[in-house]
Amino acid sequence: MSTILKLFIFPAALIITCLGVNTILGGHITPGGGFQGGAIIAGAFIFCAVVYGLKDSPIKFSHDFMGRMESIGALAYVFIGVAGLIFAGSFLYNLGVDLYGIVPSFIKTIFDYPDPTHAGIIPYLNFAVGLKVLVGLSAVVITFLGFEGEFDEDGEEIEEIE
Amino acid sequence: MIFYAGPIVLGFLLGFIIGSRIKVNPESKLNFTWGSYITIFIAALVAAYFIGPFPYYQDVPLASGFVSAIVGIFVGKVTLGRYVKDDTEH
Repeated sequence: MSTILKLFIFPAALIITCLGVNTILGGHITPGGGFQGGAIIAGAFIFCAVVYGLKDSPIKFSHDFMGRMESIGALAYVFIGVAGLIFAGSFLYNLGVDLYGIVPSFIKTIFDYPDPTHAGIIPYLNFAVGLKVLVGLSAVVITFLGFEGEFDEDGEEIEEIE
Repeated sequence: MIFYAGPIVLGFLLGFIIGSRIKVNPESKLNFTWGSYITIFIAALVAAYFIGPFPYYQDVPLASGFVSAIVGIFVGKVTLGRYVKDDTEH
């Protein structure tokens, strides 16, 4: 890739990452949310991976890191949903808002989201989904970029049949 | 002045996670100095000012999640994201 791209992409990727985070955090109040924000952050990573190559990319997502983030995102989502099932009898009941007034006040305080709208569990769900999406989309691109061709049992590359 | 902790904490967390993965390979020709990081920070502040706060947020005239994300990225980079340990990072 050209020098201009190599100079520009990494700073741009950091700014795009912040925009993705902002999109995730505004999911309950503006257009956006976990999937969109996670896709934007993954886009920033893909930008770097394509321009610098997987080896020299300044943002490195290892296999362990992606596995951990994917698990944390999924577990956080399930945990929040099961908490609603335990305390209110409905999976994914919004404990922080408590529209039906059936949850103890300290539980409501725990799941409250401290901002002017008090959206309850929605921003936390966006956070969990954002984590899952950003590593999921990045994993797809890492797999494609790391693909080095098909090899047979003797280690020789299999040629395409036209 | 009221500060809403939600976007600040979650934005910092997400930024920290990404920032901890910024690892410059010493053998690479790519070299971003501290001055370039400060320039990125100032550019992020300007961008946050022009994005503006979310609706109903009246604490600061900046996108607070955006600013806390860039702070989290730099803190993550300084604390955990120094150098590549080996070639098996991918």
